[in-house]
Amino acid sequence: MAPRSDSQTLATGSDENESSIDPIFHILRIIPFSFLRPPRLRLKLPSFTLPSPMTVFSLILLTYFLVVSGFVYDVIVEPPGIGSTQDPITGSVRPVVFMSGRVNGQYIIEGLSSGFMFVLGGIGIIMLDLALDKNRAKSVKASYATAGVSSIVIAYVMSMLFIRIKIPGYLR
Amino acid sequence: MGGKSEPAKSESMATKPDLLNTSFFSFKSLKLKTKQQELLLRISILGLVYILAFIARLFSVLRYESMIHEFDPYFNYRTTLFLTEKGFYEFWNWFDSESWYPLGRIIGGTLYPGLMVTAALIYWTLRFLRFFVHIREVCVLTAPFFASNTTLVAYFFGKELWDTGAGLVAAVLIAICPGYISRSVAGSYDNEAVAIFALLLTFYLFVKAVNTGSLAWALASAFGYFYMVSAWGGYVFIINLVPLYVLVLLITGRYSMRLYIAYNCMYILGMLLAMQIRFVGFQHVQSGEHMGAMGVFLLMQVFYFLDWVKYQLNDTKLFQTFLRITVTSAILVGGVAVGVGTASGYISPWTGRFYSLLDPTYAKDHIPIIASVSEHQPTAWSSFMFDYHILLFLFPAGLYFCFKRLTDATIFIVMYGLTSLYFAGVMVRLILVATPAVCLISAIAVSATIKNLTSLLRTKQKVSQTGSTKGAGSSKASSKVTLDQSQPFQKNGAIALLVGVFYLLSRYAIHCTWVTAEAYSSPSIVLAARGAHGNRIIFDDYREAYYWLRQNTATDAKIMSWWDYGYQITAMGNRTVIVDNNTWNNTHIATVGRAMSSYEDEAYDIMRSLDVNYVLVVFGGVTGYSSDDINKFLWMVRIGGGVFPVIKEPDYLVNGEFRVDKGASPKMLNCLMYKLCYYRFGELTTEYGKPPGYDRARGVEIGNKDIKLEHLEEAYTTSNWIVRIYRVKPPTNRL
Repeated sequence: MAPRSDSQTLATGSDENESSIDPIFHILRIIPFSFLRPPRLRLKLPSFTLPSPMTVFSLILLTYFLVVSGFVYDVIVEPPGIGSTQDPITGSVRPVVFMSGRVNGQYIIEGLSSGFMFVLGGIGIIMLDLALDKNRAKSVKASYATAGVSSIVIAYVMSMLFIRIKIPGYLR
Repeated sequence: MGGKSEPAKSESMATKPDLLNTSFFSFKSLKLKTKQQELLLRISILGLVYILAFIARLFSVLRYESMIHEFDPYFNYRTTLFLTEKGFYEFWNWFDSESWYPLGRIIGGTLYPGLMVTAALIYWTLRFLRFFVHIREVCVLTAPFFASNTTLVAYFFGKELWDTGAGLVAAVLIAICPGYISRSVAGSYDNEAVAIFALLLTFYLFVKAVNTGSLAWALASAFGYFYMVSAWGGYVFIINLVPLYVLVLLITGRYSMRLYIAYNCMYILGMLLAMQIRFVGFQHVQSGEHMGAMGVFLLMQVFYFLDWVKYQLNDTKLFQTFLRITVTSAILVGGVAVGVGTASGYISPWTGRFYSLLDPTYAKDHIPIIASVSEHQPTAWSSFMFDYHILLFLFPAGLYFCFKRLTDATIFIVMYGLTSLYFAGVMVRLILVATPAVCLISAIAVSATIKNLTSLLRTKQKVSQTGSTKGAGSSKASSKVTLDQSQPFQKNGAIALLVGVFYLLSRYAIHCTWVTAEAYSSPSIVLAARGAHGNRIIFDDYREAYYWLRQNTATDAKIMSWWDYGYQITAMGNRTVIVDNNTWNNTHIATVGRAMSSYEDEAYDIMRSLDVNYVLVVFGGVTGYSSDDINKFLWMVRIGGGVFPVIKEPDYLVNGEFRVDKGASPKMLNCLMYKLCYYRFGELTTEYGKPPGYDRARGVEIGNKDIKLEHLEEAYTTSNWIVRIYRVKPPTNRL
């Protein structure tokens, strides 16, 4: 149990006039407030309640998405949002989505889309677990299960596709 | 096992004399109880995982030979050799005059001895058992051995966090995870090999201490922390994560006596033990990075004091007032102490290495040496995918399960996972620190999902059992019928999903094996390439050059090279170097950088002032090797220019671009590095159909082919032109 006091309204302060052992309170009672009259306010100190675990979890999921998309890489190295290459014959500029040539390099959009796939896979597994919760209607459970399985399948297939495009020699 | 079923055996022999039981040894005695079956299964899985973790790391030993990889491990190997030859006291008080030439280096006081002492202990144990192995073999295989031990610790940690199933999955995942294999492959004799084991062990012991509140476990965690401090500079992560965890527990209202005992014991004893390492010294009370732990320690005392006062006073109002006074005064006193300490300089601020983790843009602007190391670059998504594969999906799911069942232990692993993953995003090298957390959390996800699916498979049997034994009432019969209609569908669905889970895990295993074999098993000192017919060609130029130095130069010769190669030159060439990988003196490195980027005359003056006899450069133009000194040249300019403003980076660039062909800047075409790398290169034809002097690493024909050296002469060039050594000529006689 955290021995931290929560709010105390100013109104109850006056009750402690005689019995308070707080030296600062007594000093303040004498020095400004013997001739100044504090106004009557209806203020409450903001109370501090802890958020629920699931709220914290959703914030964490957002942070995970940013980190895994290579957000820090984007901020420091400042790559372009999408790369471009010039066709040597026609001279037209074609966009290049995946930075090729090295493992530790990316463009911003490819990072964000891959991060989204990872989070989608994670959410798929979470939905599978929600589908097995006993206290729901059967149709809701079935839809959760199908959504979960399809999310995992899509996320895995897309991630494998991305990594195959990025690293040409993957698994060969 | 045999004893318990003996009466059954004698009974069965007496009652049923058939073929099976006529032999002395009845098959009934072999049938184990379920608990024993489970124990046997667990132990065999752990044994197999132990062996797997070891042999997965042996690719480079099988492909090349048993040698030390990379750069830093050569220093560790040299110090371990010294330790085994001269003994511990000589090692602890060693002053090395063979590196950082005029300055020397206090090795005893500037290294983390854990790795060397561990390898030396293993070596002495083996010699005691009369296995006379060479110390190099012990050094090469230390990392896989400790990786196997890490899997065991991961099993116990998983058991503590969730259950034995999660522990087993965690052990398997961490045994083959590429994020860990990359720094613990056989031959990678670096601090991280032992440090990750120490890290996980310390965390496991601390979580066990918080869960049980036992003083013994807290003591053990303090000793685990001591091992970690002796092994790696990354111990700062532990001394900041644990107080942060304690703070989170206090905020979420989970203060308890167990936490108090665990943290106090670990902090005080751990701090005292850490001061035994000379390199760490008094940092635990003086350095800004360690102040968080002290602050939380004092906060715990305040909590305990308030709890005691609350217990003594029976008056809640009085206690509330007292609480407000105490909290205010504690915060005031703490703030004043921190302010006085920082202002007077007693508490040193955060060092650049760790500050750049909190503010990633700091190193790029202020400290080029830190920014130049390739391992310190921030992480892109593909590095994450490469090192983690499936675990990236399982990690958020595991976090969800942890949040569903919040205990002291799961809060710890969530915090460890999140903080380490953030730091892994800032620096590629720190993916290693995040790997155990990611594996543990993913193991929780896998274990919970498989448990859900298998419980689906089991419900049908349970329902039918109760139906048959209890005798169905009418309501039960109808419910059994409706359940029966969905049961086969659910059961098939669960089986399909289980097959899917096993498919994903098998893909993970395939990925890990491929990554280990292709990407993380190269010894860096020996290069390999595919020839024209697909055969493998080995370039052993580095060792060729170092052995040439060892055998053909005077014993007191001084070698100047870029700091990357310093450790290897001292370990294999056995010669004095000017700068090496320790990079503790930026001005000295900048002097070398200035010499490499100046014209030959100015460079000659600098080399004479440093007593340099030989200069070593690495050149990849003939083989197409891209990590050579010309590609690193801009860093030499930046570091040199950071200390000596006479070196300006724009002088070497043309329109902001770094070129070595005809259009390169004149300063670039005449600087010492250019001359040394391309001397006589203009006469060489490197590729069919290209003019002579075609640089295969840059893909251009070089600009200045007619190079004349005035103060240096070529001493040795290796067979593939990768390492080139030049002798510095003594000054000409004055007439």
